Amino acid sequence: MALTPLEAERSDRAPLASPDAPAAKNIAGRSPMKIAFDRLRSDKVAVVSTAIVLFFILVAIFAPLIVKIFGVELRARPGSEALNIFTGYGLIGPPEHSFTWEAPLGLQPNTGNDLLAEWVYGARTSLEVATIATVTTTIVGIVVGLIAGFARGWLDRIISFILDLFLSFPFLLGALTLAPIIVNRYATSEGALDKAQFFSLIFVLTFFGWMGLARLVRGEVLSLREREFVQAARVIGVPTRAILFRELLPNLVAPIVVSISLGLPAFVTAEAGLAYLGIGLTSRPSWGQTINRAIGYFEAYWLYLWAPVIGVMLLVLALNLLGDSVRDAFDPKTRR
Amino acid sequence: MYWKRPMAAVSVLALTALAACGGGDDDGETSTGGPSDSETSFIEGGGSGQGQNADAPVPVPEIEGAVAGGDIDVVSISGLTTMHPSEAYYVNTASILSNLVVRSLTQYIYDAEAKQMVLVPDLATDLGTPNDDFTEWTFTLRDGIKYEDGSPVTAEDMKFGILASFDRDTFPDGAAYSNDYFLNGDKYKGPYSDPQGDCDCVTVSGNDITIKMAAPFPDMPYWGAFPAISPIPEAKAKDPNAYARHPLATGPYKFGDYKPGDTLELVRNDQWDQSTDAARHAYPDSYNMDSNTPSATIDQTILADQGDAQTMMTYDNVLAPDLAKAKQSGNLVTGGVPCTAFWYPDLRKPEWKDINVRKALGLSYSYADSWLAAGEIIGVTRIPGTTIQPPGIPSRPEEYDVLGNGGERPDTEQAKQLLTDADALGTEVSFYYVTSDPLSVDAKNANVKTLTEAGFEPKPVAVADSTAAAEMRADPNAPLNLRSGGWCSDWPSGASWMPPLFGPTGGANYSYFDEKAVNTQIKEIQTAPIDEQADLWAALDEEIMTKYYPVVNLGYYGAAMLHGSAIQGFLNDDVFGMPTWKDIHVQE
Repeated sequence: MALTPLEAERSDRAPLASPDAPAAKNIAGRSPMKIAFDRLRSDKVAVVSTAIVLFFILVAIFAPLIVKIFGVELRARPGSEALNIFTGYGLIGPPEHSFTWEAPLGLQPNTGNDLLAEWVYGARTSLEVATIATVTTTIVGIVVGLIAGFARGWLDRIISFILDLFLSFPFLLGALTLAPIIVNRYATSEGALDKAQFFSLIFVLTFFGWMGLARLVRGEVLSLREREFVQAARVIGVPTRAILFRELLPNLVAPIVVSISLGLPAFVTAEAGLAYLGIGLTSRPSWGQTINRAIGYFEAYWLYLWAPVIGVMLLVLALNLLGDSVRDAFDPKTRR
Repeated sequence: MYWKRPMAAVSVLALTALAACGGGDDDGETSTGGPSDSETSFIEGGGSGQGQNADAPVPVPEIEGAVAGGDIDVVSISGLTTMHPSEAYYVNTASILSNLVVRSLTQYIYDAEAKQMVLVPDLATDLGTPNDDFTEWTFTLRDGIKYEDGSPVTAEDMKFGILASFDRDTFPDGAAYSNDYFLNGDKYKGPYSDPQGDCDCVTVSGNDITIKMAAPFPDMPYWGAFPAISPIPEAKAKDPNAYARHPLATGPYKFGDYKPGDTLELVRNDQWDQSTDAARHAYPDSYNMDSNTPSATIDQTILADQGDAQTMMTYDNVLAPDLAKAKQSGNLVTGGVPCTAFWYPDLRKPEWKDINVRKALGLSYSYADSWLAAGEIIGVTRIPGTTIQPPGIPSRPEEYDVLGNGGERPDTEQAKQLLTDADALGTEVSFYYVTSDPLSVDAKNANVKTLTEAGFEPKPVAVADSTAAAEMRADPNAPLNLRSGGWCSDWPSGASWMPPLFGPTGGANYSYFDEKAVNTQIKEIQTAPIDEQADLWAALDEEIMTKYYPVVNLGYYGAAMLHGSAIQGFLNDDVFGMPTWKDIHVQE
């Protein structure tokens, strides 16, 4: 089989990277993935970002356990028992009382829900939505991009037209329109509404999120399909599906990984933004919703607002930096 | 009357509306009042205009120390929607029009000694002369009243204004008292829908206007205080839509720049003659109303009290997080609002036939939990109550307590017992909530919890926004068996409570309550001698709740409004729960 471009690059570059290296030592073959991971490991920013992202993932996975360890509960007591009914603030914890382990972030004004529990489950919602949306957009993007790039002629033109059509569709408008339709359709059943809202959110994010990757993949495929190894495969009669997924796809790992790592933070922000606008999930905790409620309290009870804001900020920043590092690591043209 | 705006119907619907008690003036009480103090002060301070004074001095005496001048900014989130005098039926539009722009037959004045609103004459020279059975009222117009363009106000204009108040097709949001009480009100369609017709109920002779009623209407002087009963020059109001953008002013201010639903500038009307007015002072030079400001911005700007904010005011209620700071500022005006919030079980549905199931429902409302969840300040913007009519209405009965919970405590155990005895465990309760409003979602969660505990099966129905909620509530066939909403009185009398809430044609009878005995009683009370009516309404209030329990009282409303430090004379007009516009002045 022909050398993939990445391998070709590497063999070109190897002498440059270590011109004085003692010969006959460490001449092990390294795959592009391994090179990328080696680079990532030595990148401090990447390591710290990974740690932060891992922290959030653990929080999301073990949300019930964490809540139990702290001894807090999502909806423990009714508001009238947990709150000072004249001010609406919690009877324990900030802002009216000092810090207590019973409610480390305090109680939510108006409802008396524990804010730590809200935060932890909010992280879960955030990551759940972002992960699923990333996976679906990636799959749709890859498949459409591969087909569009490899199929010449009318199929490519149609797909490209659809791509442009979707790109011209205003995302927020679509989400705003869809929300009331979903709410009306599933109005009478709370469980169904929750599921419908969840899947419609994923759907909206996917619907408006796959075009970038599809275009990227299409462009790559357009140039790759003229390379010798693809030509050779065609000549010896390899079926199209095999060419697409066995010859072309492995060469697209880099742009795909980069797109995933930059897509995740975008979806975290989108989820929070939609929840803030009241058109995301309403029946489970979410950072966006907490921020929406907490805005009026930014002076009187800053922790209420800042906990979810810092959550979103930290997660998005870490994911973005990680994404940058991943892109650098996978980019054969970067030199360190 | 509607609360502030269709979307405030939002607030009312979603139970996020602001409501209050505490008869405080703008003395900026700093203590955090306990429930008991608020309750007492509310009842003491709660005279919402039961006084009448036909001989009020004209012109009204000056307020000591008040000087003319200054420009006031009025900020609010509740857009001013319908500014046509015949259609203004939200408390903000009606109050702004009748206090500042449009003169009606009668009007209210704040009596500082009695601390209440008093009905006094406006364009009429007195409060009207009825015949023996209140089926004919005669008003005499003052001389020398002019519109803002200098043309004189005639009795014919007054007649046209009254005729326009019949026109439900042109003014669907307007109050329907002319249709309900005036002669031929059920047949006559109004001057725009039926240009050839006439109600044959208004006769003009010189300055005298005589109105004939279809039924006895002792409360006519109160209806006469509405902007709907104001003069409209027929020739200049051919197009009601154009007139709504610039109604001709008879009061001290006229419309300047006006963007419907957004901003309204009121400037001095030099044709207004103070010597003819029994209540309006009109000290400020202008009002600039911006009715699209977010509530948090309003609170922050006014509380900061810097520069122009010193002459800024709002008629929206302060947000709960800003209450402590607002009290300290000394610029918070609190007071009663004659509104009650209700849960209306749909009595057409078989599950509510048993009164004990309805009482169980009353015991299963989560009271304080949902008030807190909805952002109400208990004791200030929401006061627990058990009677239908709020404090301040003269026909309010002595306190009674059908459920024995003080109107503030859920008792799910007792509710469960009632349901078990009635063999109604698992009764479905379907009510709507607004998914885009987190406060509405929180309030829903609180109620689902208590309803479940009591053995009901809550089935909340999600609606996307408040407009959809309002539509759903108005739809008699909506998939609901429980509606929520608030009712505010149009004037301080049982006549503006019992017939609309429990009468057969009541506009706010969301319970679909229909009892023959009550219907005849309402008819009887309406024809009873006027001085007995208050007691009869009070007795009916208690009888309906004790015998039928058709609504759950979710508390009374209250006002808690902020103003800048340079604004004086700002008190709570508890007929509307709005500022006392007529007395407002800017400190030197």
